[in-house]
Amino acid sequence: MIITVENLHKKFGSLEVLRGISCKVKEREVVCMIGPSGSGKSTFLRCLNLLESITSGKVIVNGHDLADPKTDINKVRAELGMVFQQFNLFPHMTVLQNVTMAPIKVLGTPKRKAAEKALQLLDKVGLGDKADVYPSKLSGGQMQRVAIARALAMNPKIMLFDEPTSALDPELVGEVLAVMQDLAREGMTMMVVTHEMGFAREVADRVIFIDQGVIVEEDTPANIFSNPRHKRTRTFLGKIIKGDGVQGQSG
Amino acid sequence: MGLDLNWGLAINALPLLLEGMKLTIIIAVVGLFFGFFLGAAAGLARTSKNKILSGIATIYVEAIRGTPILVQALYLYFGVNQVLIYALGWKIESVPAGILAIAINSGAYISEIVRGAIQSIEKGQVEAGRSLGLSSFKTFYYIVWPQAFKRMIPSLGNQFIISLKDTSLFAFIAVGELVRQGQIAIAVTFAAFEIYTVIAALYLLMTLPISIVLRHIERRLDVN
Repeated sequence: MIITVENLHKKFGSLEVLRGISCKVKEREVVCMIGPSGSGKSTFLRCLNLLESITSGKVIVNGHDLADPKTDINKVRAELGMVFQQFNLFPHMTVLQNVTMAPIKVLGTPKRKAAEKALQLLDKVGLGDKADVYPSKLSGGQMQRVAIARALAMNPKIMLFDEPTSALDPELVGEVLAVMQDLAREGMTMMVVTHEMGFAREVADRVIFIDQGVIVEEDTPANIFSNPRHKRTRTFLGKIIKGDGVQGQSG
Repeated sequence: MGLDLNWGLAINALPLLLEGMKLTIIIAVVGLFFGFFLGAAAGLARTSKNKILSGIATIYVEAIRGTPILVQALYLYFGVNQVLIYALGWKIESVPAGILAIAINSGAYISEIVRGAIQSIEKGQVEAGRSLGLSSFKTFYYIVWPQAFKRMIPSLGNQFIISLKDTSLFAFIAVGELVRQGQIAIAVTFAAFEIYTVIAALYLLMTLPISIVLRHIERRLDVN
């Protein structure tokens, strides 16, 4: 198991956002997390690289015990890639510098080597010609693909995606999902918080439905989408699939 | 009995005035140099989670912003020096006192500029840096500070101009800067209108280039 979570709780002040989450993820598995806005799915994802501290429970990621204060969190994070809803590219750096920065400053990769690798990754996400451009000149879809390349430059063992297409214009969603689908096909372990049910259905090995801070149901996409066992899952999917564009901005 | 202006007197006084102008520039530049580091340190301290650190910085900023720079300079040169002479038999000379006053005074304002700029950087930038494995120091150094610094430039330029003009108050603590030299020249020549006109022109000669350079920098930064 590359990720093991046992009875994870997370409180913001007196508000308990995660109320006992347990789950396991195998290497090369693609897990999509769905659920209503405010259900805690993004918070759960952010606990996996300690962008949110853990209130209680056990989280083992890639062999590191995240609840142990002695764990070197920078090392853990260097092994995980994270892609954000708002891209969070560094606006004062070119696309190439965005991608090479962490390998150079964290891993000590020589500049030339980091640049070679970055160009390969940019090619892979279809942006080889944008290396010297500043992020402000890119579309949202292009920015998000650079953000993916930036995360991949660290050779992560796991990729975490926090609603990677929620901030995109509808016509730009496809290009980002395509890159993610390629990654999945190559065997990357992926945890994806998403409202893209089509993507979950097609790419995920497993779909987790989270509501009110607990995992209500998890199953293969085929079972979840065509035959949800829980009423809450049915209600949620009913709303989403009706296609009334219910897209929470954060989970 | 008409108004009898004699610009020749102002021209004769020019070497004296230029000497004062040199000192004005030295005090402003050196004072602002230290003021920037002091301000950056205090600004960082104010954003710190450490209550003691941010408390000290807050007291510093409020005390300096809440009192006139003239009082600060007089306090330093006459007040603190009285104690220093009594305790150590040693005092801060007028020019170093002026430099110190500019550093301490501009530092308080600069710390607010620094704090505001740092806090204006989106939280997502820090999260992106940290999620890539950068330490909090590296995240600050490579990601937050360069972006914050850009946002500081217009306000810093403004503060540089203000501090440069503030040096004129050091005439009160016997610093031979531009205004003081002018007063000396006027005491001898009585050509108040002519000499103060020249003094004002010389201040503009110092501040206008700063404004122009700033506008250039701002326009260049806008491109990215």
